[in-house]
Amino acid sequence: MITKEATVAAPAPVAVAPEPPRPAKGHRAWDEAPRWQIYLPLGVYLVFTLIPFYWILLFALRPAGSTSLVPWPMTSVHFEKVWTDRSFGTFFYNSVLVGVATLIMTTLVALAGGYALARFDFRIKRAFMLALLCSQFVPGALLLVPLFEIFAELQMINSLGSVIIAETVFQLPLSMILISNFIKNVPYSLEEAAWVDGCNRFRAFRVVVLPLLRPGLIAVGSFAFVHSWNHFLFALMFLNNQEKQTIPVGLNTLMSADSVDLGALAAGGIIAAVPVVIVFAFIQKWLITGFSAGAVKG
Amino acid sequence: MKISILGNSTGRGRRTSAAVALGAVLALTATACGDDGGGAGEGGEGSGKGKIIFWDNNGGVRTEIWKEIIADFEKANPDIDVQYVGIASTEYQSKVDTAIQGGGLPDVGGISASMLAGFAAQGALDPLDDRLDGSSLNGKLNKDMIESLRAAGGGDDKLYSIPTSANNGVLYYRTDLFEKAGLEEPTTWPRFFEAAEELTDKGANKFGYTIRGGAGSIAQALDAMYGQSGITSFWDSTGKKTTVNDPKNVKALEKYAALFKKVTPAADLNNDFTKMVAQWDSGEIGMLNHNLGSYQDHVKALGADKFRGIPQPVGPDGKRVQVSNPVDGVGLFKSSKNKEAAWKFIEFATSAESSSKFNESAGQVPAHLDAAKAEWIAKAEPTKLAADALTDGSTTIVQLPYYLPDWNTISKAENEPNFQKVLLGDMSAKDFLNGLAEQLNEAQAEWDEQMG
Repeated sequence: MITKEATVAAPAPVAVAPEPPRPAKGHRAWDEAPRWQIYLPLGVYLVFTLIPFYWILLFALRPAGSTSLVPWPMTSVHFEKVWTDRSFGTFFYNSVLVGVATLIMTTLVALAGGYALARFDFRIKRAFMLALLCSQFVPGALLLVPLFEIFAELQMINSLGSVIIAETVFQLPLSMILISNFIKNVPYSLEEAAWVDGCNRFRAFRVVVLPLLRPGLIAVGSFAFVHSWNHFLFALMFLNNQEKQTIPVGLNTLMSADSVDLGALAAGGIIAAVPVVIVFAFIQKWLITGFSAGAVKG
Repeated sequence: MKISILGNSTGRGRRTSAAVALGAVLALTATACGDDGGGAGEGGEGSGKGKIIFWDNNGGVRTEIWKEIIADFEKANPDIDVQYVGIASTEYQSKVDTAIQGGGLPDVGGISASMLAGFAAQGALDPLDDRLDGSSLNGKLNKDMIESLRAAGGGDDKLYSIPTSANNGVLYYRTDLFEKAGLEEPTTWPRFFEAAEELTDKGANKFGYTIRGGAGSIAQALDAMYGQSGITSFWDSTGKKTTVNDPKNVKALEKYAALFKKVTPAADLNNDFTKMVAQWDSGEIGMLNHNLGSYQDHVKALGADKFRGIPQPVGPDGKRVQVSNPVDGVGLFKSSKNKEAAWKFIEFATSAESSSKFNESAGQVPAHLDAAKAEWIAKAEPTKLAADALTDGSTTIVQLPYYLPDWNTISKAENEPNFQKVLLGDMSAKDFLNGLAEQLNEAQAEWDEQMG
């Protein structure tokens, strides 16, 4: 039975931001530090970060057998090989399908579940939250056989749907916790004001709360996309048809038991990395805002 | 369930939406749980027509050649459709194990000696002795390879995999560097150690040898040990105690492990075959131990004229001793509902023509006797030398116990970290080999007990 407890949330008090502390006398402020103190460590860090990427680019772009440290003469033969001969075009398409569908499903379900967790109170809520958190400690490999059996029963082995559902299931707990925290950060009084103006709960949520959740939704959606893009295990286990496999599985087949085509492997790695890099380049601003907003208030 | 709504609430619709939202989440989460269920059930002979599924245990690099063989097969058998699934070798065992437990096994799969015991013990494979007896393949396949697969099957003396090829350990060395240094080819162990030292110039980043310290290190260390010690059997005369910790093997391992950092890069501690082959192909390292499988990679990287691939050096009495490499083959899964068609495919895939095509591409020794006489073998020097070594009596092969269900665990996860300790000097070769011997003797005793 559902009961209603009218616990009206008080309007959020207008916070007066305290003045930032002034730097103590004798201490040099960050903006007064010599530039080399900032750029030197950053430069060293960048070198360590970028060398592996350069190594991948080098192997992908230089001809097989070349030991040159610059990718010249440049060749696209490795890319052509993996894209056509090794079916990376198909794998890429499948990965995009799985990634986008997981993003949509995770975001929608996490939004609904997160809203319930943020706005409703019920007897097993704490236990439910604990269960959500505990589910993060269960490795996917442990659930492979039962999941496999369920999808086999549902005639879903060899269907991208099985991977999408499995990925969504494993993304949901964290996504729901994050979304519920974002929703808690939106003053309840805003929704109440919308109800007073004649909106029902869904419409109030859609026109008032949802626009304010943009950073959170982008964070959760991109996290779901990137995770499913990179995830290997479910695609390997649930998809048997070469035409259905995804990029991580294809990448894995570039290394055989006793032979490896490094040029093809590097080209495959770049193809796998590019969408993730592009996603992060476009959304990094919202991603940082989103995760920090979700992290502050529990 | 009692649900209270935080803040003002205006009715049943909101409660319903909350219940639906949570219900949807629980329903999705619930799909992550389920009962354990049926494994690989019995299949049937089928009509000999229709679709069969083939899982390749080393997918990727060999995908093209398998697709070619499948196209030939479908042309010869237009009423059978073969669906090829290439699976990376590192993931093959876990994928098959999952399918054995959860269902969904293919009709035919690549089954090498190293995986055979586990699959056979789970009852997933169909014995092939009777089918082979009635086949045109009978008498045409290398007997040693058949026996190797029969022995690896788990002790019931049945054949679960028809051999396609054998691999063999190869010592690759850079002919250009040897010539420049005026060194003789490393056909004996003293020459090998001498060349490793002579070719090392750490200041110039030149090394005589690259050692395998990461994944797969144990088999390579065993090869170096038995090769030097000349011991020809993995078990003593009682068959209950392993010879790995024989004093001769201990001494041989001490000498081999002492190469680390003295004549090898320090990064070799984590060398798996990929890193080891990559650095040999792109640097100035004199020698590398690997198998026939990487020959084509070396040709692409260095050109065929800059290196040679020869069998392991001979021991002190002029005899060569090597440890066995897993024989590869194809097997028929018990759950197949179209075994007649599946067997037709296995026969075709292991026939002289297909075996020749496949092994020319893989650079390995064909199991089919007629394929082993093909012209290409004479042109692929390491394959020819390996084939000769395996058949001309010059080499004694120490058979590793692939039949032990624990072999993969003992020779990999449980002892590779200890071998790294030996390389770093944190553990003596004697302690390492005594520990390894204890585990192997225990596993053998368990196996003997199970076999009655």
